[in-house]
Amino acid sequence: MPSICFYFQVHQPFRIRNYSFFDIGQSDRYEDDKKNEEILNKVADKCYLNANRKMLELIRRHEGKFKISYSISGTAIEQFEKYRPDVLRSFIDLANTGCVEFLAETYYHSLSFIHSRNEFRRQVEKHGKMIEKYFKQKPVVFRNTELIYNNELAAFIEEMGYKGIICEGVDKILNGRSPNFLYKPVIGIPEAKLLLKNHLLSDDIAFRFSDKGWKEFPLTADKFSEWVYNIAGNGETVNLFMDYETFGEHQWESTGIFDFLDHLPTQILKHPDFDFKTPSEVTASYPARDTYDAHSYTSWADTERDLSAWLSNSMQQEAFKRVYSIEKDVLLCDDGEILKTWRKLQTSDHYYYMCTKFWNDGDVHKYFSPYDSPYDAYMYFMNVFSDLECRVRAVLETKGNSVTYCNEFEEKKPASIQTNKVVSDELRSMQEAGNWI
Amino acid sequence: MRRDLPKVLMLGWEFPPIINGGLGVACHDLSSAMSDLADITMVVPKSSLGFKVKSVNLVGINNIDSSVFGDRATDQKLPFSLHSVPSDLNPYHSGSYLYSTKKKTDEGKSRHFDIDNLYGGDVIKKVMQYADITTSLASTMNFDVIHAHDWMTMLAGIKIKEKTGKPLVMHIHSLEVDRSGPENKGWVYDLEKKGMEYADMLMPVSNFTANNIYQYYGIEKDKMKVIHNGSNVVKSFKTKSPFKEKTVLFVGRLTRQKGPEKFLDIASRVLEKNPDVRFVMAGVGDYFRSILEKSSYKHIGNRFHLTGFLNLEKLRYLFSFSDVYCMPSVSEPFGLSAVEAAQFGIPCVISKQSGVAEVLNGALKFDFWDIDKAADCILNLLRDPALKKKVVGDAYQNLDNITWGISAKKIMYAYSSGQFI
Repeated sequence: MPSICFYFQVHQPFRIRNYSFFDIGQSDRYEDDKKNEEILNKVADKCYLNANRKMLELIRRHEGKFKISYSISGTAIEQFEKYRPDVLRSFIDLANTGCVEFLAETYYHSLSFIHSRNEFRRQVEKHGKMIEKYFKQKPVVFRNTELIYNNELAAFIEEMGYKGIICEGVDKILNGRSPNFLYKPVIGIPEAKLLLKNHLLSDDIAFRFSDKGWKEFPLTADKFSEWVYNIAGNGETVNLFMDYETFGEHQWESTGIFDFLDHLPTQILKHPDFDFKTPSEVTASYPARDTYDAHSYTSWADTERDLSAWLSNSMQQEAFKRVYSIEKDVLLCDDGEILKTWRKLQTSDHYYYMCTKFWNDGDVHKYFSPYDSPYDAYMYFMNVFSDLECRVRAVLETKGNSVTYCNEFEEKKPASIQTNKVVSDELRSMQEAGNWI
Repeated sequence: MRRDLPKVLMLGWEFPPIINGGLGVACHDLSSAMSDLADITMVVPKSSLGFKVKSVNLVGINNIDSSVFGDRATDQKLPFSLHSVPSDLNPYHSGSYLYSTKKKTDEGKSRHFDIDNLYGGDVIKKVMQYADITTSLASTMNFDVIHAHDWMTMLAGIKIKEKTGKPLVMHIHSLEVDRSGPENKGWVYDLEKKGMEYADMLMPVSNFTANNIYQYYGIEKDKMKVIHNGSNVVKSFKTKSPFKEKTVLFVGRLTRQKGPEKFLDIASRVLEKNPDVRFVMAGVGDYFRSILEKSSYKHIGNRFHLTGFLNLEKLRYLFSFSDVYCMPSVSEPFGLSAVEAAQFGIPCVISKQSGVAEVLNGALKFDFWDIDKAADCILNLLRDPALKKKVVGDAYQNLDNITWGISAKKIMYAYSSGQFI
């Protein structure tokens, strides 16, 4: 009995304002509150509220047979709390139906796994607490930022106790095999199962739905269900993973996306062999049929499906490495505001805005960027970073701590070995005291 | 008009409040300083009617009803041939601009003198139109000397001399070989060469420029009188730096001529030895993006800041807390910004390939390609207060001799030595 597994990504970053060189040392107001509020209001009205209402209606109409899942970043939840509590309430209403699952991810929608496993773990734990607080469930399936994944991540996540991981079904790794089965990672304890995104069917909805040049246009629930039925006998789960903003924001209401959504469950459920399952139900229902071997990082971004959307050019890499270079110092500050600010700088969107790939073609990077160019994005970010770095230094100096300046480009001088030991001891004691969340 | 003073017809292109680089400021300050010694009429493409310069008769041809001159002789023969291609070239700012988000208008088709963008559109057409209008205007005027500033007004100077027989002086603030490099010899170079050959006297702003004129244009030095730029006294002030680190400053367009890449290399070298330094580049230009990318590539993104375009107030604020000024120009006819830095009591590290190096003895100097030496100078200035004090003190003494008043007197003396007045 094949299942349809819907998972929607809900995320909003705290966008940085046009923070100039002259703001460094003068202003610790980094974010563009006005823009963040405007965008959140726009997306809330066009997408979140409408889509949530529709989902709730569908769950009720189909008496529990329609099921979905969300991954909501901590930065999105914070903005709901701040600007649109009505959106947060509508997600809680959905959670209360029992047909909606919430997945684990990093609180700050960060790329932390790539650079700091400790920070990654802390962010995942922080996110889990938030999900429990609002939605009264403990996430059991993990989804990393933008489906960034590799074998190592799988091992780490299994060790953290999750039952399943969501990732992209990358063609070159599948190598002709179907994404419509569960797989297992090659290393680690082979208990966790991988849910692979069916990118063809997912992108038919997320990207091609309103494309008039597409030969299948217009896409109806009828037609889409036929495609889904085709996997009968050669697949157990069709994983449809997409940005939640697909509904009403990327695909406007006028494209008929909500009508499509309205009809889809009815059409799918017409076929007695098909049902809807949440990711944890899928992992509990089906065995892993084969291994999925991702040596290098994969993601769901761009056509490359790798890290190049965030970390391909030198500006992105410099910004990224700089941020993690002050990790120890930030933790030593033991200052909630500084820690939070630093973590918000880890949100992947900042690096996405610095991407120069296809910039001139006016593609999705440009569509999503609040800045005039990737160069502006980098400059504002680095100015903010410089200010934060100064603040961290100032705090440490008043505390009488020496600044470690963990600068990986300048290899450590012998004198700092002692400092590092002190740092690690302090970190350990902080960890034990649970001070950083 | 004051009949007792020699009458000078000055031809300018940039002029306040339409300043584009240092040329406008230099023309303004120079004409203003000369106004005590001569009766100056300054003709520029554009001036706003409300803008006045004391004792200078400022004429913006945008404010002239050119029909009073009758038919404009646009087909008038030039004294030499020029191969021109209508183009959207900008000889002062080649390449794309980071911040130019405005759509380019189809200026080439305009029948009016385009005064909004002095270097955009078909520049040579504007140069020719300017020449026509000023020639007509000059025929109604009484003057002793034609004094043209840089290549944009050279054609006008030539035509006015043709028509009136008055002596032609060309003031050389910048050359095509400075801006584009000696290997690029296009029509601007041709115009400069022909113009300078035709002029009665050349006034380069430095010996460095005089040498370039001799070396790249083949013009003998006995026709030249070097007139170093002056500088207005700026009321300097100090503010507390927002940074714990020392600050090294670069001010200028981010173009090949100014050596922005050298500054980056120098920064990188200094930071290897002393990580507690910040490098600040103020300005925009076609090298902006590549400099930004290279700074990240060299992993000095947290110590290397690009400010973008700055107004005067912000610029002076930067001067008020910077610790070293660095000017690594590849080819700099003068370099007024170094003088400004010196006025703020900032020690300067400047390339020998600059005019200002000839007059600012209180400065550390290096060949623009000698990154190690420049880095060494900066490190020493940051480390050694005695050295800094000596350099700054020497520079203060030099400042007394870098004034527009002195430049004006030298020009008047040159006029008489050429028997123009």
